[in-house]
Amino acid sequence: MMGKLKLGVFELTDCGGCALNMLFLYERLFDLLEFYEIGEFHMASSLKTENHYDVAVVTGTVSSHRDLELLKHARNHSNYLIALGTCATHGDVQASVELPIREKLKAVYGDEGNPMKALDSKPVVEYVAVDLAIPGCPYDKNELYQALMDIAKGIDPVRPDYPVCVECKLNEYECVLVKKDLPCLGPITLGGCNAVCIKSGLGCIGCRGPLPGEVNPASEYEILKGKGYDDDYIVRKFKTFARWEP
Amino acid sequence: MIIELREFARVEGNGKAEIVIEDGDVKDVRLKIVEGPRFFELLTLGRHYYDVPDLEARICAICYLAHSVASVMGIERAFGVEVPEEIQLLRELGLIGEFLESHALHLYLLVAPDVFGYPDAIRMATKHGELVKEGLALKAFGNRLRELIGGREIHGINVKPGGFGRYPTQEGLEEVERQSEALLRLAKRAVRLFAQLDPYGERVKHFVVTDGYLWGKRLIAEDKEPFHYTERIEERSLVYSFAKQSRYNGEDFFVGALSRLLLKNEMLTPEAKRLFEEHRERLETGYVSYNNLAQAIELVYSLERAGEIAKTLLDRGINGENVPVEPREGEGIGYVEAPRGVLIHHYRTDSEGRITYSNIITPTALNHAMIEASLLREAKALYGEADEGDMIQRLEETVRAFDPCISCSVHLVKL
Repeated sequence: MMGKLKLGVFELTDCGGCALNMLFLYERLFDLLEFYEIGEFHMASSLKTENHYDVAVVTGTVSSHRDLELLKHARNHSNYLIALGTCATHGDVQASVELPIREKLKAVYGDEGNPMKALDSKPVVEYVAVDLAIPGCPYDKNELYQALMDIAKGIDPVRPDYPVCVECKLNEYECVLVKKDLPCLGPITLGGCNAVCIKSGLGCIGCRGPLPGEVNPASEYEILKGKGYDDDYIVRKFKTFARWEP
Repeated sequence: MIIELREFARVEGNGKAEIVIEDGDVKDVRLKIVEGPRFFELLTLGRHYYDVPDLEARICAICYLAHSVASVMGIERAFGVEVPEEIQLLRELGLIGEFLESHALHLYLLVAPDVFGYPDAIRMATKHGELVKEGLALKAFGNRLRELIGGREIHGINVKPGGFGRYPTQEGLEEVERQSEALLRLAKRAVRLFAQLDPYGERVKHFVVTDGYLWGKRLIAEDKEPFHYTERIEERSLVYSFAKQSRYNGEDFFVGALSRLLLKNEMLTPEAKRLFEEHRERLETGYVSYNNLAQAIELVYSLERAGEIAKTLLDRGINGENVPVEPREGEGIGYVEAPRGVLIHHYRTDSEGRITYSNIITPTALNHAMIEASLLREAKALYGEADEGDMIQRLEETVRAFDPCISCSVHLVKL
């Protein structure tokens, strides 16, 4: 067998969940370590090799110059880069605050603002080319596990291409949009989460971002309007995790 | 001269520190939070209350339920909603799951490698595999509780103002009762391990906690007089950090497991109380490093309490009814004990239930000044005495004792 692949995990600005979710693989983490050696993973290890990574996993948004430098380092020193989680793929909630950065900083840190340099939060994919994007807030850890295993074996990872509704129907959950009039974004959101929020009888909040391709946000918009939700509410909902344009 | 510590490893989020040396002495220490700002208070402004707890959960992955519950409580108080005991017990069960998940992560995967001299738990597993597996088992059970109550392991949306999207089944609760009993043995072993370690860091003078064990209507400190955070806690911006710093009556203070044990030990479950008494003298010295011992005792508390709650709910059966929520103009504060200490969510709402004001203060922001004080004391003691590499290692351990959550600390304030 060939030597192990070197894995780097790089966290930009986020809640820590994407890195944490890797630790939630529990014993399967040790299965992954049959194929990978960890070169950098600052939440889990003090070791840092700073040279070359076969696979780099980047989580979070670019929200500071430090983030941007770290992202460039990861890209320039890796063969295969995975943008992991909705922050990295779509910007997530922190990118949805639409004020210019100077005004945001002033609102938070007072009139003098904060002299530290911050950037408007943007997803990783807006700065560098990525080899694989796995969205989700949080992403499904099984999807990441499978992708890393596939990469180790030289297989191109499967990319889901269906909406949350498909998984909802397969699980035979009651449609919360039709039956309970809840604002469910399932019809226009990329599946892969196994419809976990609908399992709780609640509407999809769109955390995996828009379904690429034939998605029809205009129709979803009309349905929600028909159920009495106002423009502002719907637009905010569309723009929370990703920047849908209705 | 400035000695720059590189970004901390084995903590959640991105931060570093620098030590200022003047005339051959340690003059100052600065804790620099370099995680970018995330503007959560701005994000929630103008939002409909129903969506807010799900957004606030995204502040932190390690303690998302503490954020959801604090958010829900702030909103319920603003609307004058009271929930029955069943819903309270279930929320408590979720928060206990979070204590287990977070304390096990911190003690076994982040701190234990320091104790045994490894860079991480993965490499530590070659010699101490049993211990790592025990930690993972506790963590997995904590996450099982988070999934049961919160909807999933991270960022679930099941906790809502007035109740839940779905209620746990009888089988789910039976599993909780069984597992909490079975895992107790592991938690007791963790207490023995962390009781052996020598103290370091600063000694705490002021402790702040919520007035109940896992949440409260107010905060309390050593004098046990209930107060709102606005009465005794002040925040200010720093030029070198994206996190703000808080003071209690103008002085640094500590929130976290050690504070809870020292101020609320009469609320502990039997075995946790016994272990607290066994180690009381040590804990009362107030060294921040004993926070780790306190967390281990809280693992025992959490397992005992999870069993009690599951039994109570199984005996009386689950009703599964939400309380109706009527939005109104109001103001409310949710005080919750996140695993790493007091968490505050403060909101004002308009008559349609939209958020008009939001202030969130997280435990790591509350501890910021205390972390600096601890680093200063440790750096003064070690500079010139110890090898620089050893000093830096000890300083990192000092930061780690606080179980800091840096992503959470990057918040902001009044608008």
